[in-house]
Amino acid sequence: MNGSPNSGSGCNFAPWSDPKEKPLIRFDAVTKKFGDFVAIDNLNLKIYEREFFALLGPSGCGKTTLMRMLAGFEQPTMGSIMMRQQHLTDIPPHRRPVNMMFQSYALFPHMSVEQNIAFGLKQEKRPKAEIKDRVEEMIALVQLQAFAKRKPHQLSGGQRQRVALARSLAKKPKLLLLDEPLGALDRKLREQTQFELMTIQEKLGTTFVIVTHDQEEAMTVASRIALMDQGKLVQVSTPREIYETPNSRYVADFLGDVNIIGGHILGPDDKEDDIVQLAWHEDYAPLRIRLPQPVSFPEKGTERWVAVRPEKVRITKEYPTDTHNILKGKVLDIAYTGNISTYHVETEDGQIIKSQEANLEHLHRRAITWDDEVYVHWRAGGCVLLER
Amino acid sequence: MSELSNITEGAGLMTNGQPDSPKTQRRMSLPKNWGRCLLILVPYIWLLVLFLVPFIIVVKISLSDTAIAMPPYVPTFAWSEGWTGFWNMISGWDLENFTWLMEDDLYWKSYLSSLEIAVVSSLLALLIGYPIAYSMARAPSEWRPTLLMLIILPFWTSFLIRVYAWIGILKKEGLLNMALMHLGIIDDPLTILNTDIAVYIGIVYSYLPFMVLPLYSSLEKMDDSLLEAATDLGCSPFKAFWLITVPLSMPGILAGCFLVFIPAVGEFVIPDLLGGSNTLMIGKTLWVEFFSNRDWPVASAVAVILLILLVVPIVLFQRQQEKQQEKGA
Repeated sequence: MNGSPNSGSGCNFAPWSDPKEKPLIRFDAVTKKFGDFVAIDNLNLKIYEREFFALLGPSGCGKTTLMRMLAGFEQPTMGSIMMRQQHLTDIPPHRRPVNMMFQSYALFPHMSVEQNIAFGLKQEKRPKAEIKDRVEEMIALVQLQAFAKRKPHQLSGGQRQRVALARSLAKKPKLLLLDEPLGALDRKLREQTQFELMTIQEKLGTTFVIVTHDQEEAMTVASRIALMDQGKLVQVSTPREIYETPNSRYVADFLGDVNIIGGHILGPDDKEDDIVQLAWHEDYAPLRIRLPQPVSFPEKGTERWVAVRPEKVRITKEYPTDTHNILKGKVLDIAYTGNISTYHVETEDGQIIKSQEANLEHLHRRAITWDDEVYVHWRAGGCVLLER
Repeated sequence: MSELSNITEGAGLMTNGQPDSPKTQRRMSLPKNWGRCLLILVPYIWLLVLFLVPFIIVVKISLSDTAIAMPPYVPTFAWSEGWTGFWNMISGWDLENFTWLMEDDLYWKSYLSSLEIAVVSSLLALLIGYPIAYSMARAPSEWRPTLLMLIILPFWTSFLIRVYAWIGILKKEGLLNMALMHLGIIDDPLTILNTDIAVYIGIVYSYLPFMVLPLYSSLEKMDDSLLEAATDLGCSPFKAFWLITVPLSMPGILAGCFLVFIPAVGEFVIPDLLGGSNTLMIGKTLWVEFFSNRDWPVASAVAVILLILLVVPIVLFQRQQEKQQEKGA
């Protein structure tokens, strides 16, 4: 999960940071209301060509509404959605160069795999031979050659998912929308399909927008992730940035596991000038957090939070050296999940700190067990300071 | 003492030992099968007694000749003569009545006209019922039970009374003509009652629920996202309806048409009350044959042919239902 952008031309693919690049899709102050309920709240967003863009958030956050507005099934109450120079809002759904892969797949039950894939092409009245070639090409792309004549109810869940993907790609849309495309698959198949999706997206160069509530899925496939909450974008960044430098407690907490400690800014560290000290408890030493470059110190006394990921918190029985933040505590719980163990350590003032260690050795040789007195510690560079 | 231990041993064997011993299994399964047989037997006996036996009697009468007697046909079975009486009766049977049905054009004209009225009524019911069922299936889910109730509500009044009520609506000085004249749409009252149009109105009105209910149940099951997917792939909403909704509601369309067509073919009350003297329907012909002419054998022959004609669509309907079930499985 290093979050290297996997779309387009390798690692340097970052059109969002190039001011000369024109976006494919632009949301300008888009608001969508259902009665009194505000589903999308004054939202601005740019999506670039060849991106694999993930909309992530809890259910009811507006991510599906956002996608349905792109497909044309919902109209924004205010604001505009542009595709290049065109107002998307003026175009009815059946004329948009946008196709969608539905969560339920929405395969036509009375048509075979071939007919399902050919459906969109037939609506365009393309020549028969061309349709035939394109359908064959799509069936080959999703490796369903042996199942072309079958009806949807004769296929497994994974195969249906492939038919749905092939059908939505058949018309070569400029933008492909994927609504929880892998939700109905079991875990193993889902992981495998994520990589297939990435391969297909790279091969075709189509812009993909995926809606998901599964953060791991978003991290795996996306070039950028937009995390949504209550109709607003909370953060839009690459998977690496959104995980390592979340902009708020909400983001830090939504993506993965995190320890959050609140406190007040004390001032710069006396040894290293890019480290800030945060007073969090009167009996304990302040926490030290390395700030990103360029350094800008927050004012003394302001309320801030420190977020540190459990995998960056070390746990030892001996007092550690060469580290910035040390807390003493007692092991309360150990969650063993095979590859890693998560220790829940209660500090003397009752704060619970989670620490993750890879299980490098066999379980019975584990040195730390319940009720042990331990030190949890992390370096100043391993945590981030949050404003809200 | 030894006996007692034997018993307890045996009991132990029964409770916790060898569950797959064939003896225990047979003892367990026998009463279960009995219950099942009984359950299936009861409706079959019911059908045998109340459908098959009367039908055999009708077939028997259709092979007899009319007579001024009680009952009004010969030969009859004389119990006193035993086997010879039985043989006498069988040797008296012939197909005269059936050949008569072919010779007199009244009968095949009535059959044809009944089929025509039934087919046209089914199509009319489909045309009217489809939009009703469609809008019911699209209505907010909290309204649907009420709408369904409204469709079934007419059944709470007697069928005869409801058909009678149409006389009051359709007659020359009836509600419809009064309303149309009042609105200035027509100057002279229309003659609707005692024409085929009144029969169509009556049949479509009476059997509409049988069209709407199967249509509704097939339309309600349809996933909205299918229509969205069709529009997404470039279909206009109207085309999506033709390419997706109509084919997917085909089971409902067929079931509804059969459910209207089958009873409409043999309909008697509606053509008798609303139709005119020109309205030719086999139900009416049968009634006239039976009660006015008192020709039981010919009436029975008419009934037998009607049943044979109806068996074809009923079998087709059954086939289609089976296919649907297989698809669902």
